[in-house]
Amino acid sequence: MSDIKEKVTSKRFIALVLGCAAFAAGGLAAGGVLRTVLLCVALYLLVWAALSLVLGKRSFGRAFDDVNTYLVLIAVSAVFVFPCLWLILASFSKSGSLYDFKGFFPPAYSIETFRTLFTDDVNGLYPYKTWFLNTLYVSSCSCVLGTVLVILTGYVMSRFRFKGRNAVKQTTLVLGMFPGFMGMTAIYIIMNQLGLVNRLEALIFLYAGTAPMGYLVQKGYFDTIPFAMHEAARIDGASNLKIFTKITLPLSKPMIVYTALMQFAWPWSDVLLPKLLLKNRTNWTVAVGLFSMGEDYFARFAAGSVFIAVPIVILYFCLVKYIVGGLTAGAVKG
Amino acid sequence: MTTQPAAQKIDVLHCPWRARCSMVVMGMGQLLYGQIVKGLVFLLAECGLLYFFITTGFEYLKGFFTLGTQEENLWLGVKGDNSMTMLILGIFAFILLGFFIILYLVNVHDALSTARDVRAGKPVRHIGRTLDAMADEKFHITALTLPVVGVMIFSILPIVFMILLAFTDLGGSVVYPKLASWSLSAWQKIFSVGQLGATFLKILRWNIVWAVLATAINFFGGLALALLLNKKNVIGKKIWRAFPVLAYAIPGFISMVGFKFMFSQSGPINSLLTQAGKDTIFFLTNDASAKWWARGIGLFVNAWISIPSVMLMATGILGNINTDLYEAADIDGATGMQKFFKITLPFVVFSITPVIIGMFVGSFNNFGIFFFLRSGTYSLYGDYFLASDTDLLINWLYNLSVSNNYYSIGAAISLIIFVITGTLSLAVYVRTAAYKQEDTFQ
Repeated sequence: MSDIKEKVTSKRFIALVLGCAAFAAGGLAAGGVLRTVLLCVALYLLVWAALSLVLGKRSFGRAFDDVNTYLVLIAVSAVFVFPCLWLILASFSKSGSLYDFKGFFPPAYSIETFRTLFTDDVNGLYPYKTWFLNTLYVSSCSCVLGTVLVILTGYVMSRFRFKGRNAVKQTTLVLGMFPGFMGMTAIYIIMNQLGLVNRLEALIFLYAGTAPMGYLVQKGYFDTIPFAMHEAARIDGASNLKIFTKITLPLSKPMIVYTALMQFAWPWSDVLLPKLLLKNRTNWTVAVGLFSMGEDYFARFAAGSVFIAVPIVILYFCLVKYIVGGLTAGAVKG
Repeated sequence: MTTQPAAQKIDVLHCPWRARCSMVVMGMGQLLYGQIVKGLVFLLAECGLLYFFITTGFEYLKGFFTLGTQEENLWLGVKGDNSMTMLILGIFAFILLGFFIILYLVNVHDALSTARDVRAGKPVRHIGRTLDAMADEKFHITALTLPVVGVMIFSILPIVFMILLAFTDLGGSVVYPKLASWSLSAWQKIFSVGQLGATFLKILRWNIVWAVLATAINFFGGLALALLLNKKNVIGKKIWRAFPVLAYAIPGFISMVGFKFMFSQSGPINSLLTQAGKDTIFFLTNDASAKWWARGIGLFVNAWISIPSVMLMATGILGNINTDLYEAADIDGATGMQKFFKITLPFVVFSITPVIIGMFVGSFNNFGIFFFLRSGTYSLYGDYFLASDTDLLINWLYNLSVSNNYYSIGAAISLIIFVITGTLSLAVYVRTAAYKQEDTFQ
């Protein structure tokens, strides 16, 4: 017991000394920012030293912990929220350019940028409406196709034992270790041969076609559905197709939702492949278009970003339960 | 004529003449047995594939080895060969040839099994029965066909192409209309002492430092955040958790480009500095003084984007720790620090070692951060070859093979990246396999 008591006393002493030191240093420091920081530190330490004298040992420890926890929480939340807030406010700025900002925030606000985003394409330079429709088309099609393919692959790899199963497993494992867009040159040539360069369908085929590579998360999920159910249905004479559509699919709603979300979010925010395959500005997706905007069009960038980020953020928040499920399923299975 | 025993083996050497027909002409045996649809499908597939190989496919196969024989000659109006296209079409023809062989074997196998059915007195399977089988016993084949074809064309074909490309001299001055050939020149250039070799070593060194720092920051940051939100005295956990999830949900490129604007030369931070009467800082500008600023900002932005997902994952795992352990530790008078280092950290590290390695590989190949933050510019100083001082190998690979035409060198670098990340992943894979076995022993 005396041990703990000594510890608290010594902590109090250290806080007192450090606080005084910080106070002295802050007083001596010439610089504005440094001085403010040091004085804040001094204030913090001295308040704690004083409080610990007034409060008892136990309640002091608890209060100390509470206040510290919330201070850190507020700081962390600010770090995460501030950039988002900055972007949102910038999207409502009256003047479009980054150069007009005084510090972080625009001098005047209006909703004009959101209106011009869709009505004015700056002489064909930034046709946001077309981009948005393109993105919607590519994302929805690859979401549907990709989800079907991944779910099928994951299910088959989980439930069936067949010749070549290990070969498939090992091939995907090795392929996954190659840097993602290592084959970009080849993809361009293939799409050129297929006559799909500058076509949105090229992207849909690409996203959906490569999606089954990431089947492990889905396999991990299907592994958790008891085999007994499968066998019981088999004995009752159900075919494999029936088992899949009537038993497995209804049970896998969380995994289907997670897969669909991931398959949707990827094309929604990918820049590289569209940049490689789509050469005309009118064929671009929003991500490529936003990436091409300079500082003169900062407000337009911010408005465009907010507009495509909002739906996906809402989706994430509604489905956060499923995402955590998917993340941990992937984590534990490796 | 002696009656043959029903159990007599039917294999490739001993089989009825009708099945034998399938070995000569695909689908013929099936047609003779009365399986019209299946027979026609095989027959048409053979005709189509043969037509392809006779008209063009054979040329493709030849082109794979020669990489072109006819150089373009504008004076004589001769159309030249394009080595790169020939290489990829050659690989494609090889894949198709493999498919042809497999189809042929399937056809023979199918004819033999029908012959067996006939010998055993069972009725021949007609099209309805075949379709039923595809939905039942052969469900896995039906289901996997489309995914396999997709992965073949869009994943395997490009990767094989890149691997082979590393062993040609394509790129640099050897681009269309010049003809390429098989050679090891890319490897010689990378491992020589020239500017290319020096750039490679510099980038590799920074890449390793980056991967270690980024993984450590993201892992411990995410874990710390999860622990903080898990504390008993935090009220409104859901609300606090919403802030990091917000950062996680925003599409990555928006965050990265947004941060680029924030730290840009005329961005808000520099504008505040000027207002305070200070000089602007070159955060991400193409300038020698920006080197460590840009690297630091890269680490920060990467953490901002990745920590929330680690936090979500760690929260899930922390929920699995047996709370009895903590109670026992409390009774023994352990401090918070001790509990963290002796219980929490080992548990989390052991349950997600594969994920940590996955994070390391992901950080090692993190293309987006510096591509978006610095827009893929090349340093004008410091003697880098088509790279900037913040670029990772993967950015350099992009600069070389997509933005400029150094195809074979880019391909060689991607093979090096593969060896590095592959060795790491393999080591972990073996380890987790052992770990799983350990579990079965318990």
